Amino acid sequence: MTDDLQPTSSPPSYEAAAERLEEIIKRLDSGSAGLRETLDLVKEGRTLVDYCATELEAVGKGLDELRLDDLIARLESNGSQPEPGPS
Amino acid sequence: MATPEQQRIPPAGIEGSELKGPFPVGEYAEALRTRLRELARVQVFGEVSNLGIRAKAVYFELRDDRGALPCSMWRDDYDKVGVELENGAQVVLAGGCDYYPGSATSSPSFSFRATGVKLAGEGELLAQIERLRRRLHGEGLFEPQKALPRPALPRAIGVVTGEGGKARDDVLAGLHRRGWAGRLVWGFAPVQDRHAAPKVSRAIQDLAAVADVDVIVVARGGGSVMDLMAFSDETLCRTVALLPVPVIASVGHHTDRTLIDDVAAVSCSTPTHAAESAVRVDVNQARESVLASARRLDACGRRALVSRARHLAALSRAPDQHIARQRTWLHQKTRELRASSNRQIAVRTERTDRHRLVIDRKAEAAKHEPEQMLKRGYALVEDPTGELVTSAETARKLHDLTIRFHDARVRARIDDQ
Repeated sequence: MTDDLQPTSSPPSYEAAAERLEEIIKRLDSGSAGLRETLDLVKEGRTLVDYCATELEAVGKGLDELRLDDLIARLESNGSQPEPGPS
Repeated sequence: MATPEQQRIPPAGIEGSELKGPFPVGEYAEALRTRLRELARVQVFGEVSNLGIRAKAVYFELRDDRGALPCSMWRDDYDKVGVELENGAQVVLAGGCDYYPGSATSSPSFSFRATGVKLAGEGELLAQIERLRRRLHGEGLFEPQKALPRPALPRAIGVVTGEGGKARDDVLAGLHRRGWAGRLVWGFAPVQDRHAAPKVSRAIQDLAAVADVDVIVVARGGGSVMDLMAFSDETLCRTVALLPVPVIASVGHHTDRTLIDDVAAVSCSTPTHAAESAVRVDVNQARESVLASARRLDACGRRALVSRARHLAALSRAPDQHIARQRTWLHQKTRELRASSNRQIAVRTERTDRHRLVIDRKAEAAKHEPEQMLKRGYALVEDPTGELVTSAETARKLHDLTIRFHDARVRARIDDQ
């Protein structure tokens, strides 16, 4: 079926995920998707919801303020690589 | 006006005067021009007023609180310098005194003939910035930052600003308004003195390299052109232009335009706006939206299954329903058949009764037909015209009659007078 919403690979960003999620819901709401497509879209949509929820949770737990000079001082004293960021 | 002839013959001078002359005025004006042009060429500075830009020359006055000079500049020289004069601009002029002696029909004039001009004070700074802007733009350095992908929901944000400035609070207010509470790395740096540009540049580089941020905000409140000059520093602007992390600039008020505004990915009028541009998603709204999407997906999935299960169940019941429908149909047809038969019998019975009645009536009527009566022994008496004679009196009057039997007629005569 040419009208099928083709599944996409994992979203590169929050906005891409949110946009894809909107497409999926619009397609499902149209009522024209078959059973197999519906189940595939629901599955993909749930993955996207999980991704978006994780991204939102990462910026919703509380402001984590750091000073750049502290970060650099810590790095210089450790003489090692910086702590990996959350992203 | 005197004729050329009269001009060639000088008039007598003023009686008693020890001064030389009288000289023809044109000759004196020429000599005055030569003398003025011999004066030392100098630089003068002041404020431009009464500016008039003409096709061949530019005219204006240069003045300060102690005096003024009428000035002029050939248009070629003006265009070559590349400075755009405007009333009120502080300028330095290079040139010397000049005098136009006029003619029989044009007025003489004195002016300071400028051959060079440069803007002084803020004007000079702005001109420098403008020259650098053109150069950076020509090198295509306004584009790279704008081509960088900018996440709508960054996890980590770097901010370069003055530690004690109001811009810091404004950035926090903007992030709070978005409901964003992720990782925020402050790269504090002086934002005004001569150390500002290299320190800001260094902070930006470190944030990109060390702090692993998704976007960098450079924020500073308003100030004079001189105060904001650091953000038009060439090295800083080149650093920003070539940085692989998007930079959002908010320097000065919305009327100020520093070069970092041009090379950055986005330029904002206030630090609050810059913070909101760094986080384009309203986190609280997005959370509700994602929750709604999750509910919607569940509902769609459930509805798709339930509706199809119902359909299947309906299909499984179909044979029984079909037989039941056929049975009902059959019963109905049987009832209709019975009713139809009864109706037919009733109709036929009625028709037969009616037929019998007709026959009976016909038989009864036949009994009274004349022919039948004649056969049974009755006879009809007719007059010669064939009309029936129904009384004895008529018969007596007629004498000759015809008596009709069932098989033939016979003539008869009445004797009974």
